[in-house]
Amino acid sequence: MKRFIIAFIAAYIFMFLWGWLLNGVLLKDVYAETPNLWRSQSEMMSLFHWIIIGQALVIFAFVMIYACGFAGGGAAAGIRLGILLEIAAIGMRLAIYAVQPFPGKLIVYGSVSGLIEMVIVGAIVGAIYKPASARTS
Amino acid sequence: MNWQKFFTAFMAAFIFLFVFGFLWYGTLMRGAHEEVQALFRTKPDFPWLILGHIVMAFFFTTLCVRFVPAGGLGASATLGILVGLVYAGPHLISFAVQPLTTKILCGWIVGAVIQFAIAGAIVGAIYKPAHPRPVRS
Repeated sequence: MKRFIIAFIAAYIFMFLWGWLLNGVLLKDVYAETPNLWRSQSEMMSLFHWIIIGQALVIFAFVMIYACGFAGGGAAAGIRLGILLEIAAIGMRLAIYAVQPFPGKLIVYGSVSGLIEMVIVGAIVGAIYKPASARTS
Repeated sequence: MNWQKFFTAFMAAFIFLFVFGFLWYGTLMRGAHEEVQALFRTKPDFPWLILGHIVMAFFFTTLCVRFVPAGGLGASATLGILVGLVYAGPHLISFAVQPLTTKILCGWIVGAVIQFAIAGAIVGAIYKPAHPRPVRS
């Protein structure tokens, strides 16, 4: 349980900082190209707790998958889990792109950064959490 | 890896994900989506929608087969629920940054969890390894 919490907190801190750097700084100009798709800055700030809860849910479910022994053990297993989850998420992003008028480059940047993010999240969780019993080798 | 079963499971997962998506998001939630028309394309871009579902189904099937190598409906459905929660997190984040309604948010989250739980059960029911590996305790 202790390692579960430490893995969760470490991965969450990384995801929060990565999300801020990517969406709040690096991709700011790309988001500005489609202002009609986004809430105003003040509205976003008033709903900021949903960003925190959303990121926490991603990390909690990720660590749960890992802790349940589905992925095996070690950083490599965490990275494998991160890659598979993220590539499936890229499929979801393409489906969202099909129905929402996002700029194509936002989908590309989001997918590349998402892959990097989940690889690092997987490495962090895999390095910290040691499952008592793994279902696979 | 039992490739024949894998391919059958992948095809079944793809068909289910696509049909469920059409029914849940395209039909049941149509009214909710029409409340914020500016956020959606007038017509879905079908090539991207199909490609997205193929990618999603392929890597979700890989995830189930890789992490639940012995197959089985229950374990794969559990993995599906956790994967659904991983993908529900970004919906919460989208709600904070896009002018979506709470009705849409709830529909997307419930939809993701149900969709991947059933997809996991389908993959688990279909995929059986050629030579089952013993479960490590």
